[in-house]
Formats: sequence, C-alpha cells, structure tokens
Amino acid sequence: MRNNQGNSIGISTLESVPSKKFTAKKLRLFAKPYLYLLPTFLLLWIWMYYPLFSTFSLAFQKWGMVPGTVPSPVGFENFVRLLTSKDFGVSILNTVFYTVGIIPFSIIIPLILAVATHNMEGKMKNVYRTMFFIPLILAPVSDGAIWRWMFHPTNGLVNTVLLDLGIINTNIAFFSDPLFAKWLILFITGWKMMGFGTILFSAALTGISKDYYEAISLDGASRFQQFKDLTLPLLSPMILLILMMSLLFSSQWTFAYIDMLTRGGPFGTSTNIYYEMYKYGFANMDVGLSAAAALMFFVVFGIIAFVFNLFSKKYAFYDN
Amino acid sequence: MAKYLKNLIVFTVVLLLLSACGIGSVQDANASEGEATTTLPELDPENPTKITFYSYSLAYPTMKEGMKKLINDFNETVGKEKGVVVEGVADPNFQQYRADIVAGKEVDIVQNVFPMLDASRLSLGFQAYEDVFPEDELEEHLQGISENARQLGVIDGKMYGLAFTFSTPIVFINGSIFEEAGLDPNDPPETWAEVKEYAVQIKEETGKDGFALEPDNGWVTDGVFFSNGAQILSEDRSEAMFASEEGIEAVEIWKDIYQSGAHAVGSTTEVPEQFLAGNLGMYITSTALHSGMKAAAEAGGWELYGGPLPQFGDQPSVPVNSGSALTVRPDTDEKRAATWEFIKYVTGAEGYTTITQEIGYLPLRTELADQEEYLKPFVEENPLYKINLEQLEEIQPTTIWPGENAAETSAIFTDAIVEAITTDADVADTLNNAQEEINGLLK
Repeated sequence: MRNNQGNSIGISTLESVPSKKFTAKKLRLFAKPYLYLLPTFLLLWIWMYYPLFSTFSLAFQKWGMVPGTVPSPVGFENFVRLLTSKDFGVSILNTVFYTVGIIPFSIIIPLILAVATHNMEGKMKNVYRTMFFIPLILAPVSDGAIWRWMFHPTNGLVNTVLLDLGIINTNIAFFSDPLFAKWLILFITGWKMMGFGTILFSAALTGISKDYYEAISLDGASRFQQFKDLTLPLLSPMILLILMMSLLFSSQWTFAYIDMLTRGGPFGTSTNIYYEMYKYGFANMDVGLSAAAALMFFVVFGIIAFVFNLFSKKYAFYDN
Repeated sequence: MAKYLKNLIVFTVVLLLLSACGIGSVQDANASEGEATTTLPELDPENPTKITFYSYSLAYPTMKEGMKKLINDFNETVGKEKGVVVEGVADPNFQQYRADIVAGKEVDIVQNVFPMLDASRLSLGFQAYEDVFPEDELEEHLQGISENARQLGVIDGKMYGLAFTFSTPIVFINGSIFEEAGLDPNDPPETWAEVKEYAVQIKEETGKDGFALEPDNGWVTDGVFFSNGAQILSEDRSEAMFASEEGIEAVEIWKDIYQSGAHAVGSTTEVPEQFLAGNLGMYITSTALHSGMKAAAEAGGWELYGGPLPQFGDQPSVPVNSGSALTVRPDTDEKRAATWEFIKYVTGAEGYTTITQEIGYLPLRTELADQEEYLKPFVEENPLYKINLEQLEEIQPTTIWPGENAAETSAIFTDAIVEAITTDADVADTLNNAQEEINGLLK
C-alpha cells in the first residue's frame, strides 16, 4: 500500500501537505451522496426541467421546428395571438366543460360501484370489478374505433336502433353535430375512466377496519348513516386525490377521443386546450404558439394544484 | 508504461472509428456536389444500388397494393437489368420523411404534395431536377406530360418536383340505387339543380340518401367556388376573397341540397364508408378512390357509374386537382443514376398504366388512354376515366394557402364552410367573418 502511494506522484505530493489531504477527503465525503443522486438529477433534468425551461423560452420565440433554422424572438406576440384567436377561447371553455363533466364519472359513479361491490360475497365481486376495469386497459385507439362504428351516421348501431324505435326520423351524424360531439367525447372518456376510480375506491374501502362498522351498527346506525358518517369521512383522502387527478388530467384523457372522433370539430366546437396545443405545434408547425398555450396552461393548473393541496390538508381525514 | 500504451491504443482505435463514420461521409457528400451533372455513371447490375422511396400511397388501403405493384414491377424489370433496388416506405402523414432526414437516414425520393414543395426545397435538401439529372435526358422524358403539370413543381425557374399522381373530383354513382329510384345511371346529373332533384327522388323512392359532398372535404369545395365564377384567393395570393357574391351563392345552393334531407350527413371519414356499403346514391370525391369503390361495388353486387363535376346553370364547371410530385435528394452519383431510372419508369408509360389501373389516379401522359398496349382497354372498360380525362382541359389547381399560417387559414376556411352548410348560420355572415379573420392572418 505504502509502496504504491510512493509510486504515484499525485498522492505523494498530497502527503507532504496534510491540510490539503484533509480537504480532499472531506470533499469526497461531501460529494459521495450527490454522486449517487446524480443519475436521478440527470434524468429529471432531461425529462422534466429541460423541456420545461425550453417551453418557457420557446413561448417568446417563433420557430417552425425545421432542422437547421433558428428560433427568432418575438416578445409577447404569441400570447397576443392566442388571446385574440377564436378557437382558443372555445378551447378554454371546453376544457372547463370536460373537467367538470368528468367528475361524476371519476368520483360519484365509481364510489357507488365500489361500495356496492364491496359487500358482495364470492366470485361475482371480481367479475363485476373486472367489467368496470376493462375499458381502462383497452387502447384508446381501439375504443375510439368501436365508438365510431356504433355512432356511424348510416351503418352504426345507435342510429339503426333509434330509427327502428321511431325516436328519430333521419340519421344523425353524432360526431359532426355540435349538439352531440362534445357530450359524446365526455361520455366516452367517462366510460373509459370509470374503472380507475372504482379500483382505487375499492382498495381504500378494504383498508377501513371492520370493527368500526360493528361498533357503529351496535349504536343503531342505518346503512345510509354508516356510509355518510363512517365510509365517506374515511374515504375523504382518496376522494380528494381522485378529484385532483381528474381536474388535472381530464383534458389529457379526452385528447385521444377528440383526435380520433371529431378532430376538434365540427368547426372547433369540441376541441380542448391540449388538442389546440397539439394542433399549433404539430399540425401548424408553430412551436412558439404551442409553448405559449402550454405556459398559460401550466400557470393556471399549477394554481389549481396548489390550492387543492391546501384544501386537501384541511379537509382530508386520515385514520391513523 | 504498459498501461499508457494500452490507453494510447484504445484512444487511436476510437479516433479511427470516429473518423471512419464522420469525416469519411463528409468527404463523400462533398465529392458528389461539385461534379458536372451532364452524365450519369454506369450502374452495376451485379452490385445494385439501393434507394428509398417514401410514399403516402403505400399507407392507404385503397392504394397500397397498386403502389407496391409499381415498385415491385420496377425492381423486377428495369431495376434488375440496370442494378437498382427500390425500397418503399409508407409515410401516411408526410412526417416520416422529415423525421428520417433529421435523423440522418437515407431518404432519396419522396412522394410529396405541392404545398410542401417550397419548404422541402429550402430546409430538407431536396434538389432541382436540372441540377442532378442530364438536361437532354430530362427534356426527352418530359415529352408527353402537359406543360401545366410540369409547371406545378417549378420554383424560381427550376423543377423541384415532377408532377406524379393526379386526381380530380368525380361523381361516383351507385347504379342499382339509381335504377331503383327510376333514374338512368348512364345519364348523371349535369347541374347542381339536377343533383338536388335526383337526390330527393332517390330519398323518396328508396329511403336511402341521394347525394353527398362532405362540407369538410377540403379540396372539392374549391371547385364548387370556381365553377360559380368565385375566387378563393386574389391573383397574387395576398388576400382571401371567397365571401364574394358568387361564392356566397355557390355555398347557398350547396346548403340547400344539404338541408333537403336527401344529403348524407357525416364527415370525410364516415361518408365514404356509407357509399362503400351501398347506402348512398351519388358521392363526389377523388378519382383516387376508384379502385376501392370498384371492389366494393363488385362485393356488394352493384354497378359503379360516374359523372363529371356538376355545373351552375349554363356555366361550365371547373374541376380542381389534388396531387403529388416526386422530389429527390440523391447524395452520390450512383444514387443519381438509380433515382433517375426509377423516376423514368414510374412517370413513363408502364408506370402510369399501373398507377391508373391499380390505384386510380389519372395518367399524366394522356395519350396513353388511346394506346391499345397501355390504357385503351382499361378506359373502355371503365368509361368513368373518359370523364376525368376530358375534365383535365378545364382543370385548376386547388388553393395553396400562402405563408406560415397556411394550416391555420385553411382550417378557418373549412370550419366556415362546415358551419355555413350544416347549421342555420347565415351563409354571408359566416363567410365574411372567416374571410376577415384569414385576411388578418395574411397581413
């Protein structure tokens, strides 16, 4: 060991100055944990922060993404264009529509389904839960194709049945009709996401101790009172979590169906902010405008998430 | 010491490898640039040159088989003889070739669309035909292709794209529905007024929808405007002017048919399915769908007929064309030669015979339709093509929306047409608003 050090020029010089050696060792100790963290930081930078910062800078530039060209700065022009564009206002209103509209499908129906299947005995419980879960694992593209066939203006099942029953007398092009397009997108997304909430609520229900129910029923509480005074408060952290997720992600969940079934149409009536961002960026090749929309989206939804966190700390009840 | 030596060896090997793939290829590229293009090198059939062909037709079910056959036919005849192997790459949305060029893959020939031509030339390294192929051979090959078609791909006096596949609108007719309604499929409607009359008669007699031209079709709309004497853009393409009196009138006539109850409803993805299923009397769409329609008619047991784009009153109708051009970016002399062989084949007599028979596009060499060994038997068997070949005389190109906001402006235009036709919205107001918005973007 000593012999080796003698051969190495670097360490033998260090040895002659003890204080320096001390700092080097200290530095190594100090750096070690950060070295372990480095890969994580690197990945976080590549996948999260670098794109985030590029979005910030691209929002103030004009660029067509063509290789070899350089983005040119345009100040706030992208934001001005966004706010004066006809479709952007509609897309914001629709985003709100989809966000609020998804809540029954992500919370209310799943809660009922989870509670209803929770007390079931035997195999049927799993059969039902599988049924609710299947839409979630199907690929959105195949879901979209199935719904498109069902609602086809002439060859579709829905039109045929409605005509046969005499409810309508001419075919309806559901996805080309501003009256139906938006609602169908919401319904299909809701149908798809219902299983998600159901599974999470079912898991949360299993976590509630049976003793509480025994105690409360000894006190003479009815089934509804048990649900209201025991189940609901104990599920509140999960309800708030799913509520936050559906508020933040509903626009993402609707994206695939907008793209497949209506392409934002007819005349832009079923689009949402995500789809507009995609259109600006990848159809119009205008990354600046897309980044500006993303930035506004980021700020607004950041505020929603922040407020929600405060809210959930205040209202969620944890059974420790 | 041994350790240093080892490091040195590793370092040298890495350096060599890097230079082999990096610097070497730069030199290759430089070598091909400076040389004169008057001659092309001999190709070696023993050692064939491989080139790639990016085609959207390879991605569409109704066109795929025909395009595959075209490529295979070339590889097995001229390709084998001269030493060229063409590999087809399906590119449904014109994204793949861009992505692959950026990623450094070899993209040699692209079936491009005209609106993208200028952008392709400026940023993706596509070259002018005059710069890569011998001028006398080029001139000789272009004989027989009309001057109009040639000019479509010319920018700044040079040809950056050679017109390749061409389509025009046609009224496809379901013969059995016509007969069931007491109409003669050999006597298609000539005017828009007749279209409405026939459509209503079909609806009353058969219960099936009589007619369809989807409001969101995107390109036939231009022909409807032009046929009524309306313009979409001004001559210098600096201003939209579709909300003119003639334009509004054309849309109102279309709206009247749409709202008559005999017009099929739905979007461009849904209506063709309705026609293919045999539930629609008349449908205006591209000739490129011909092979698919014919197959559906055979499978469904009905006859396919056709007619030209209807006219307004006694004004002759003005059909529009959509189409593609071949753009090239060969980076070696061998590839120049190989690319030229392929282009000569696919835009030659054999190529257009396959394209028209198997895919449905029009032959840009119109004289082939009169030649017994090429398309004469086919056109006689499919008289629909006579209609389109006659239409070629009146044809105008579809609108190329100018500038950077092209995608946005064309979307505003299409949205306005859909809203004006399918809802109760006032046609004049809707078109005027859209025109104002577009002109705001064009400034």
